[in-house]
Amino acid sequence: MTVPLKKKIRYNRAETRAAWILLLPSVIGLICITYLPMIASFTLSLFSWNGLGEMKFLRLENYTRLFTRDTKFYGSLLTTLEYAGISVAGSIVYSMIIALLLNRKIPARGFFRAVFYLPYVLPALAVYLGWKWLYDYNHGFFNYGIKLLGGSSVKFLDSSAMVTPSLACIAVWLSGNLIVIFLAGLQNVPRTYHEAAEIDGANAWQRFWGITIPCMTPIIFYNLLMSLVTNLQVITPALSLTKGGPGTGSYFMCYMLYTQAFKSHKYGYGSAIAVVLFLIIAVFTGILFGTSKSWIFYEGDDKA
Amino acid sequence: MKKVLAIVLCLALMLPLLALAEGDGRVHITYSFWGNQTEAESVQAALDVFNGMQDKIFVEPMQIPNEEYTQTLVNYAIADQLPDCGMVNENAVLYFSRNGVMADVSDMYAGEELQPMDCITFRDAGVPVGYSSCNEILILYYNKDMFDAANEPYPSADTPYTWDEFVEVAKRLTFDEAGKHPGEEGFNPEKIVQYGAFVNNWTWQMEVWALSNGGAWFSEDGNECLINSPEAIESIQKVADLALVEHVAPLNVIPEDNGIGVGIGSGTVAMTTDGTWRLGTDFPNLEINYGIAPLPVMKEEVTSCTSGLTGVFKGKHQQEAYEFVKWYTREESNWDSLVLTGIWMPKSEYYYKTEEGIQAWLGNEKYPFKDLETGRKVLVDYTMNYAKPACWYFTPNTQITTNEILFTALQSVWSGERTAEDVITEIYPELCEAIVVD
Amino acid sequence: MSMASMNRSRSGRMASRHRREKTADILCFALLVVLGLAVMFPIYWIFRSSLMSNAELYAYPPAFLPPQWRFSNYADTLQSFEYMKFLGNTMTILLPAVLGAVVTATMGGYAFARLRFRGKKFLFTLCVGSMLLPSMVTLIPLFIAWSKLGLVNTYWPLILPHFCGGGAFNIFLIRQFVKTVPRELDEAATIDGCGYFRILIFIIVPAIKAAMIVVGLLKFIELWNDLLQQVTYITRRERYTLALGLNIFRGSFNDDWSSIMCATCLSFIPGIVFYLIGQKYFVEGIVMTGMKN
Repeated sequence: MTVPLKKKIRYNRAETRAAWILLLPSVIGLICITYLPMIASFTLSLFSWNGLGEMKFLRLENYTRLFTRDTKFYGSLLTTLEYAGISVAGSIVYSMIIALLLNRKIPARGFFRAVFYLPYVLPALAVYLGWKWLYDYNHGFFNYGIKLLGGSSVKFLDSSAMVTPSLACIAVWLSGNLIVIFLAGLQNVPRTYHEAAEIDGANAWQRFWGITIPCMTPIIFYNLLMSLVTNLQVITPALSLTKGGPGTGSYFMCYMLYTQAFKSHKYGYGSAIAVVLFLIIAVFTGILFGTSKSWIFYEGDDKA
Repeated sequence: MKKVLAIVLCLALMLPLLALAEGDGRVHITYSFWGNQTEAESVQAALDVFNGMQDKIFVEPMQIPNEEYTQTLVNYAIADQLPDCGMVNENAVLYFSRNGVMADVSDMYAGEELQPMDCITFRDAGVPVGYSSCNEILILYYNKDMFDAANEPYPSADTPYTWDEFVEVAKRLTFDEAGKHPGEEGFNPEKIVQYGAFVNNWTWQMEVWALSNGGAWFSEDGNECLINSPEAIESIQKVADLALVEHVAPLNVIPEDNGIGVGIGSGTVAMTTDGTWRLGTDFPNLEINYGIAPLPVMKEEVTSCTSGLTGVFKGKHQQEAYEFVKWYTREESNWDSLVLTGIWMPKSEYYYKTEEGIQAWLGNEKYPFKDLETGRKVLVDYTMNYAKPACWYFTPNTQITTNEILFTALQSVWSGERTAEDVITEIYPELCEAIVVD
Repeated sequence: MSMASMNRSRSGRMASRHRREKTADILCFALLVVLGLAVMFPIYWIFRSSLMSNAELYAYPPAFLPPQWRFSNYADTLQSFEYMKFLGNTMTILLPAVLGAVVTATMGGYAFARLRFRGKKFLFTLCVGSMLLPSMVTLIPLFIAWSKLGLVNTYWPLILPHFCGGGAFNIFLIRQFVKTVPRELDEAATIDGCGYFRILIFIIVPAIKAAMIVVGLLKFIELWNDLLQQVTYITRRERYTLALGLNIFRGSFNDDWSSIMCATCLSFIPGIVFYLIGQKYFVEGIVMTGMKN
């Protein structure tokens, strides 16, 4: 085992130098466009500032206000979590299914791949504007279809209960990039494993859970991480389609941050929301990383 | 090789960045505005005139998307990069003036013959801080063909509907696939083909109904929030009930659509309330037979007037910007492009009180609304007798109260999930707090 | 059990397995067709909306096919939606930014995957941490910084940041891919006297070309959708990008939906072209290199 040796790694000088040269742009980026502005934001969250006037030091007043007096904060938090939950689960399952289907020997594979990938390469803002004409209560296609089939109209975007799932559906629809990454992973699952299992009499379902899924765990992890972080930071649908409502149905944390800071010009308060959002995302990512060792199946990897 | 080519290509594409402004001895100032293509063209036309008529100042346009307009200006102010002058959204006027961004323009019309009307003067604690560039009021539009088809007399230009009459007429103009009207046996609200009414529920347009119902949103000194009064709450509920209870209006939860696009234009809504600018921006493009009337009345006859202003921002070219704005905001400077197209109504009393003033715009053959007598009643007299300034003329922080808090909260009322009373009671403390913060 | 019966049952099993596979393939194909139609439908709906007038859009019931195929909508839209100019502007930002991101992310990803140095863990944590930060948090501080540098109203604030590692996601992705390249390859190269940079260029880059193209595409889409930054830094109409150009039809008073839908459809084109050009690489390529092993 190499474990005891790990404590005394001797760093090679040339290697260290090369590493720092290669990482120089990234380090500059991390400092200048991420962490310094972030520190600035954190500082700002302790102030009251309307953008044009004087700054007033408030200590933690912005935070106490957020947690105790803001009528929309908890609604916003729940909405964000609900949205992220549905769209992460939805896109992982959806793209896994599509990837499994596309992984078979079927005609016109390239074409189908393009079809399912297509939504992802379209500009998101434009896409949401277009979906308005499907979801709209009065003029949308979905409700027209429902009424034709004898149902009664659904308030897809016009009720606080429906709006989050409706928007999450668009997110699932947009998740073509996950399909491609899953597809890549599927093609790498060694055929020999499947063949061996088949000889042992495992059926397709058992093989899927016993071989495909474990072999795919590193890719599932990457996709989970990516979609979790992006979906917790969701804002575009609220910005272009629903404007936060009804109630707090689409009042996502990022949208709340945006309206408070840029529309109501409460920059300090907006920064406080940003800090809280950052911590929430950090907690979820931390959980994901923390549990990863127990469910990710690495095959001869050094895990570093 | 390909990579080299790619890099060369990129560098070539970057060249335009290096283009420098030419020096011509004139003071270059920037005028910022929002708007669509037509609006951008009319702005450019006016700038061309100004740039051509003198050789000291050269004005360059700066177009910012409407949705992000104020926030972009604030970003620029933070970075000390504000344009020299520009349009200011109504809800940002007091915010800008209080924070010392805008130059004092209170003497802009001193000694002039044409004075802007009182109701379009922005006041902070009673002190004038700016004047709107034009006057716009809210009126009722209707589709004459749809009234004819229902054998319904047109709304009168003299005596407005009471709210109940309005609802009744709207019911007669609403029908479902089977031709049934609301209230009739077998009427199916799920399958309405034509709606009778659409009351625009953009937050600021809702204020007029509180006034109409004998209430108000804010006290006249702008220090107190009165939206929790029973009258104000009832007025919101009444508008929401048009869609929810009476089934005479389409559901409009995200108050973005307007009744003209949604309804009158496509023949699905017979009457809608909206601002007078639509005479110029919408109706000329819609080949329909429309009429105008005063708003229905809940208790008191009233309409709201509003319009953004053109502000001069503090800076080293303040004087030049002031010159330009003074020229630009006169009716004559925008006469052909904005007044005669029907987008702006004049802002000076002269055009409302004197016969020759009225004839100059309303009587002009280019004016899109051709019925002079109706126009006289619904546009001129209605403004003079019943127009009250919208809340942002005298209440600070409307960028928080109406734009954010009320906007979000009222969506639950429009969707029918909560009552107006419930929602307003919940947000009232927030509103009270918001109007006093600086 | 006799040999013969065993053979028979085995071949029978094979045959039934083939038959089952075949039915499964047909079912999968049918399922794909159905799902594919469902996925394409919203795009069709946007397209049909672009061929209708505003009045027709709001009519009830909604028309499945445009009552009149108003291709003239596109001509009208192109009058104010200066497509080629906006596209040129967009590309002026996108091409260098994507290039910068791919190059610097590859450098960073390689260093994290292969090289050992003090502070690696810390730096990697910082890097992952930066993913958690909503980009708009940094908007105001960055805007102030750029304006102090006098670079507001140029494209630099939209381009230069992407030369700084290209974002943590992309560094992370490249790192994962570099790890799949067998170490023996660089060890052999080291023995041949190659330095780290030569290994990167001559061994790693060819092996992870597909991943680099994927990063390029991710970046492309990200920038394409980044309206907020563009609104903040671009204020001259002649510098408008396609995303900003869509706003032209959202006037101060009214939204011209049929033009918005036309512009939307037009703005789809570059993404589709990019996909068609790159698809060979980032679909086949990704499959060949894989995410691990």
